Parts: sequence; structure tokens; C-alpha cells
Amino acid sequence: MTSAPEVVLQFDRVSLDYGGQRVLSELSFSIKRGEIVAVLGPSGCGKTTMLNIVAGFLQPSAGIALISGREIAGPGPDRGVVFQSYALFDWMTVRENIAFHLRCAGRPRREQLEVADRMAALVGLTGTEDRYPYQLSGGMRQRCGLARVLAANPRVMLMDEPFAAVDVQTRETLQEEILRIQAQTGCTIVFVTHSIDEAVFLGDRIFLMLKGGLGAFEEFAVNLPQPRDGSDNRLHPEFLAVRERIYRAMRQPAGSAA
Amino acid sequence: MSENRQRRARLRYVLLAALSPLALLFLWVAATRHGWVRPVILPPPDAVVMSFVDMVVSGYSGIPLYVHVAASLMRVGVAFFVGALLGIFVGMLRGRVAEVDAIFVVPAEMIRPIPPLGLIPLFILWFGIGELSKILLILTSVFLITMVNAQAGARACPADPLRAALSLGADRFQVFRYVVLPAALPQIMTGLRVALGTALSILVASELLGGDRGLGFIVLDASNFFRTTYVFSGVIIIGIVGLASDRGLAWLSRRWVHWEGRR
Ligand SMILES: Nc1ncnc2c1ncn2[C@@H]1O[C@H](COP(=O)(O)OP(=O)(O)O)[C@@H](O)[C@H]1O
Ligand SMILES: [Mg+2]
Repeated sequence: MTSAPEVVLQFDRVSLDYGGQRVLSELSFSIKRGEIVAVLGPSGCGKTTMLNIVAGFLQPSAGIALISGREIAGPGPDRGVVFQSYALFDWMTVRENIAFHLRCAGRPRREQLEVADRMAALVGLTGTEDRYPYQLSGGMRQRCGLARVLAANPRVMLMDEPFAAVDVQTRETLQEEILRIQAQTGCTIVFVTHSIDEAVFLGDRIFLMLKGGLGAFEEFAVNLPQPRDGSDNRLHPEFLAVRERIYRAMRQPAGSAA
Repeated sequence: MSENRQRRARLRYVLLAALSPLALLFLWVAATRHGWVRPVILPPPDAVVMSFVDMVVSGYSGIPLYVHVAASLMRVGVAFFVGALLGIFVGMLRGRVAEVDAIFVVPAEMIRPIPPLGLIPLFILWFGIGELSKILLILTSVFLITMVNAQAGARACPADPLRAALSLGADRFQVFRYVVLPAALPQIMTGLRVALGTALSILVASELLGGDRGLGFIVLDASNFFRTTYVFSGVIIIGIVGLASDRGLAWLSRRWVHWEGRR
């Protein structure tokens, strides 16, 4: 093969129907290894549905969804999901939540503890390992959800509006942490968000999905200076320019941009 | 400040919980003292206490009281333990696996509305009048109650934690063990408490099936001979066993499902 980065995720005319109603229609794209793709779009346009197909929770009604060239057959630890609802296990401590993948994989207890504590430290949860999710704030819960996924060392991370319920300051910290972790692990990230700023700050590319005819989404490239995790980037001219382009595209009536 | 208020609320709870049985006792004393009711219908408390002391000292119908208590506890205990295990197991499977539900739905839902008393003649026919019949009668009810609750709990397991577990590499068994079971636990515990109460109430009926010992036997035998004070003693002992075991289960429940209502 060539030296170009491999394609990790590929959708080829993927459609999905919910009881006769078409939610995704002939959606095609490909995402390369190490990319961060931010997905924007109005509520109900099918962002979660798209992530669910990648995660293996849903099968396409038509078309084909591939991971590393193979058809996605079901959920698996190579794709980590960070849920908008956190989806933590309320009956497990933070440490047990984070170690869940290792426990299922039958890793030794010592390794489970060691990795859990390291991941807790990575997301800033040191000192809360023995607490239960209901004893954490929203931001801490989402950090726990993130650490739980990181402990499985996935090739692809799928994040569904993970910071929607988090205050602005925590959100910006977490966004910077995502970029730092991505730089460290080189994983691929698909990040669904409602916030244009969040999309531009995180995304190498941005998919703007539109209600209804989802085959035609608009794509924006973001060329911010590396490393991406400096908060200065939020004031960079490129940041402001891309933000404006997306803003205008979202205001346009659907279809006229094509 | 709020801690103070919590302590006061707790104190109020304990006070009311202690006062309500005392009030009942007071009514009881008043009703018998003033001759509102005939003693054979409602004997005075001191006569009941005397009958209790008599049973402790010299047993009932030639058998020591502790043997009666042990016989009943053994029947309820075995039936409750085995019935609950089976009920939880089948109920959880019914809640998550459509095929298992399909197998059980008609027989289980047909047996469920039959009152346990209606099963007694059949059980005598099939299993005789020994221990087996008694235990199976209680076990059947415990099984049906815990099954319904476990099924509802397993079905109510939220989708996202299930998906999270699958995408973190859990196999079907691990999903069951680590997600479905704990998610169903609040309803399972409620089912256990209901089943325990029912088990004790069926105990009396099950001891209709012959035999010469047990708390239910005391109650039935005494009532046949209008020894109302002994009926009351037996009923009160059953009640105390019920109260103690329910408090025990409630305590376990609070420890095991500490997250409930705190999400
Ligand atoms: N389980 C479901 N059954 C039927 N329709 C659904 C279901 N889930 C989502 N939908 C519909 O599919 C569309 C896309 O939903 P979703 O992917 O959740 O949108 P988004 O995440 O972009 O807000 C919506 O119109 C929604 O009503
Ligand atoms: Mg969504």
C-alpha cells in the first residue's frame, strides 16, 4: 500500500430506515486514521443514528459500513463510545467502571487496578476512584465515561454530544484534554456536537448534516496550527473564519449550497 | 442545619413506628377491659401472654415451642431460597430472551392466578401430605412472584449501559452478570419482600396438609378447639418472624441497591 494514512471508517451509500421512515439516505464518507471529524447538524437529523451504525448497535438498511475495510458486524472494543447519557454502571465504583473492559477481557486484577488508576489520572479523576457515579458531578461522570473508553485503547472513539450537559469552563478543559489524548494515542475520533465552536476547535474536518436528505452533507476543513490543544486557537483567524462559514451555511435553506 | 433536620425526621420516624403498635395495644386493652367484645373472640393481652408463657414452658400438644418454630422456619426458608433462586433465574431470562419468555408465558400466567389454597388438593394427590407438599406449595408462590419482578426488572434495564457493556467487549454472560442483574436488582429485592410475606401467609395454609408441628399447625389446631389465646400467640409469633425478616431484607436492599433513586 501507499504511505497515505489508511482509511479507518468508510460509509458507502449507507441508508437507515426506522419503521419505513428514512433517517439516513445514501450517506457516504471516509475517515482516515488519526483524524478528528466533528459532526454538526440540527436535532433529529440522524447524528446519533450514524454513530450507532459505526458502533455496531444498528445495521444499515442499505449500503455498507466498513471499519478498516471490513464490514461492521456488531459492537466491539475497537470502537469506544462516549454516551451523551454517560451510561455509567451505577452499581460500580469509578475504578470498576474504568476497568470494565479489562475485567471482561479476563486481565489480572493487578493490571485492572493499575490501568484504572492511570486512566483516572489522565482524565483528572484521581482521588475519586472509590466513589460511585451518583456521587460525581456531570463533568466528572463524563470524564469517567471517557476514561472507561480509553482503558480499552480503542482505534476509534465515538462521542455523542458528550459535553452537552457540562458547564462552559469544564467543557473547554475537557475539549483540550480530548486533543491532548488524541495526540498521545493517535486514535480516530468522530465527535457529534451542537456547538459550532466545539466542532471547529476539535475537528480536522467538520460534517454538517442537514435534516432529511442526508446523502448531501457539507464538509469543512479546519487548518488550525499544531499542536491543536492550545486554547489560543479559539482566537485564531482560521477558527473565526471557519466558524463564520459554517454559521452562514447553517442559515442557508437546505440544498442551495450544493 | 440540614443534618439536624435529617436527625429530627429520623427521630420522628422511629417515634411513630414505635407508637403505632403501642396505640393498637392500648385499643386492645381498652376493648377487652371494658367488655366491648367477648374473650373467645378477642382475648385480653395478659391471657395471650399467659398462653405464650405456657407454650414456652410446656410446648404445644406435647412438642416444644422451638420445634414448632424451627419446623416452620425450615419450610419457609427452604421454599423461599429455592423458589427465589429459580424465580429470579427464569424471570431474568424471560425479560431478556424472547424464546424463553415464549416457553413460559402460557403455563406461568395460567398458574399465577390460581390461589395457593386451590392447589392444596392437587399437591396432596401428587406429593402426599408430608414435608414435600408443604414446601412445594410455598415454593410455587415464591417462584411466581419473584419471577414476575425479576422479569420486569430485567426488561427495564436501560439501553445505554447495555450498549456500553457490549461495546467494551462484554460477552452475553458478562452483560447479564454485570449489567442486567444489577439493573434489575431493585425490582428483584421488592419481589423478594413481597414473596417473603406471601410465603409466611401460605405457611399456615400449607400446614393444613396434615402434620403435627409448625406455627401454622398451632394456629389451626388451636382455632379448631376455640383456644383463641393460643391462636393469638401463634399469629403474633408469625407476625414477628415476618416483621424481622422483612426488616432484614429491607436493610440488605438498602445496602445492595445503594444507587437507587440517587442518579
Ligand atoms: N428507535 C427509534 N425509532 C424510531 N425512530 C427513531 C428512533 N431513534 C431515532 N429515531 C428518529 O430518527 C431520527 C434521527 O434521530 P437521531 O439519530 O437520534 O438524531 P440526532 O442524534 O441527530 O438528534 C429522528 O427523526 C428520530 O425521531
Ligand atoms: Mg443525538
